[in-house]
Amino acid sequence: MTDTTTRRPPAVSEPAAGGENAGRKRWIRGGAVAAAVLLAGFAVPHLGLDSYYMGLVLSGVILALLSLSIGFLARRLGLISLGHTAFFGGSAYALGIAITHWGWSPMPAALFAFSAGTLLALLMGVLVVRASGMGFLMLTLALGQALYQFSTQAVARPYTGAYDGLQLQLGPDDTFLGMTSPQLMDAGLFWPVAWVALVVSAVALWAAGRSRFGTVLEGIRENEERMRFSGYNTFAPRLAAFVLSGAVASLGGVLFALNAAYVSPEVLSFVKAGDSLIATIVGGMGTLLGPVVGALLYTYAQARFNVSGNLPLYTGGALVLVLLFLPGGVLGGLEALRRRLPFLPAGKKDRT
Amino acid sequence: MDFAQLLNAVAFGSLLMILSSGLAMIYGLRGVTNFAHGALYMAGAYLAYSVTQHLSFWWALLIVPLALAVLGAVLELVFFRRLQGRSPIEVGLVTFGLAMVLERVIVLIWGERTLSVNAPAGLDGTTSLFGTHYPTYRLLVIGIALVMAVALVWWLRASRTGLHIRAASHDVETSSVMGIDVDRVSLVVVCLGAALAGLAGTLAAPYVSVDPGMGVGILINVLIVVVIGGVGSIGGAMVAGMALGLVQTMGSVLLPSYSVLVPYAALVAVLLWRPAGLAGKRLS
Repeated sequence: MTDTTTRRPPAVSEPAAGGENAGRKRWIRGGAVAAAVLLAGFAVPHLGLDSYYMGLVLSGVILALLSLSIGFLARRLGLISLGHTAFFGGSAYALGIAITHWGWSPMPAALFAFSAGTLLALLMGVLVVRASGMGFLMLTLALGQALYQFSTQAVARPYTGAYDGLQLQLGPDDTFLGMTSPQLMDAGLFWPVAWVALVVSAVALWAAGRSRFGTVLEGIRENEERMRFSGYNTFAPRLAAFVLSGAVASLGGVLFALNAAYVSPEVLSFVKAGDSLIATIVGGMGTLLGPVVGALLYTYAQARFNVSGNLPLYTGGALVLVLLFLPGGVLGGLEALRRRLPFLPAGKKDRT
Repeated sequence: MDFAQLLNAVAFGSLLMILSSGLAMIYGLRGVTNFAHGALYMAGAYLAYSVTQHLSFWWALLIVPLALAVLGAVLELVFFRRLQGRSPIEVGLVTFGLAMVLERVIVLIWGERTLSVNAPAGLDGTTSLFGTHYPTYRLLVIGIALVMAVALVWWLRASRTGLHIRAASHDVETSSVMGIDVDRVSLVVVCLGAALAGLAGTLAAPYVSVDPGMGVGILINVLIVVVIGGVGSIGGAMVAGMALGLVQTMGSVLLPSYSVLVPYAALVAVLLWRPAGLAGKRLS
């Protein structure tokens, strides 16, 4: 990728100084950080968390895939999606339907579900990526909501179970990566799968953002018209980014369904889309890891505060306060704090 | 589709019309997509319930819009004015958060159960129209909505404030250079938009179920109406509101198993045909 910098047209500003060598160093450093994080994560089930907290961290990590995908679109293209639950929930349902109704074994079903979610992102992307700002938000909201409504209708009922949901029925010999159904539902055993998926997705999105493709996206975000006049096709990169982020959300949906062994219309709902968007914003949309932090915070808050049913009160309130007083989210706020306190170690964070 | 169904469609369309014109006005002037509009409507319905417990429905029709106007003033003075200059998306998301908070506060005050409000005495029967018996109360809803629509359009066209509102929704900066007090006009518009949501909530209370899900349910319809009508166009919102009411009712008669998809299909069809909506500026 390093030679692309020299061919970059003048319309796009070059984000990093230092030329090719610094570029290569950054990739190496990024890879090293990712590998270290990946290895460190494997220790989580051995930290002595009880099964309740282990389950909580695991669902946080699965939700983080959805938040990560929403955050990627927001950061790279300035597009806020309220319809990504279509891919998350859509792939979860696809998995359930393939396993329960068609009797597929889990591995092919998972591949099918992931592809189905991604294909759905392609179809929806064709309809929505031309719009921007509020138009994009509304279109994604409407299409996501349409899928939700459809899943609860009488025509879809034989497949989705409507409001009763869909129970995944795995035979005793059906395994996914060597795990049977009870093992998949065990948070400690399922953890490595979800963790690898999260780290790989984060690295893939980071790499996409850092590549020439990412620079084109940035150009489109800053001034779409200028990019078009500079001779770029702006539709294709937008669509590609949308599909990429849809694929990450689909991966989240597949893992969710495997682990929960149950899919209900809730995973498609506008409320879930809103919640994961809020998690993304509260965590910090401007950074790669912000959405992950937000998803973990959200999962914790959900477990901690939802006893009284007042979670929407707190999430809504947190959203308002963060937007009013801390526009960069929690991670953005920490970053600002670090800048104000010069004696803290300088962050090595790239802008991604 | 028989006559009673047509009247049902018009009654539902009337409610959408009132709600959508309020939302479109706030968008036109403040540039804010007010996701809290559904929650305001819900607040209107619950307040109407409480007022009718103590006074009559007619009092609710007066008091609730006034109370909601006060809430609108809070929205404008505390949030929208502070957030001027921020991106429309961020402000939209703030209203999203406010909607969640408001809905929850309503549930904390009135509880989770479904409430019912009686139609005012004398209007709870049926009227015979062209050989069909029809609930009198729904005719009242249609009547009030039509009167409101005509009054609103007339006020926007004929009064000085209306002129200022129309000017400011075209171009805020130029209007303020021309001597229009945009802050004052915005306050009027946001209060009025909230009051209209309260009016719609009050009118809806006797014939839909007043429950915690009503705000989100209607909000999506209203957003669809506003986008179909052309974001920011009040006239477009009114026409699209009535049209969506009709299309949706027609859908539930002709294609019962797919009827919930009708609004979304309508939205996608209109946007593919006219990306800016029926009467809108460029959607962005």
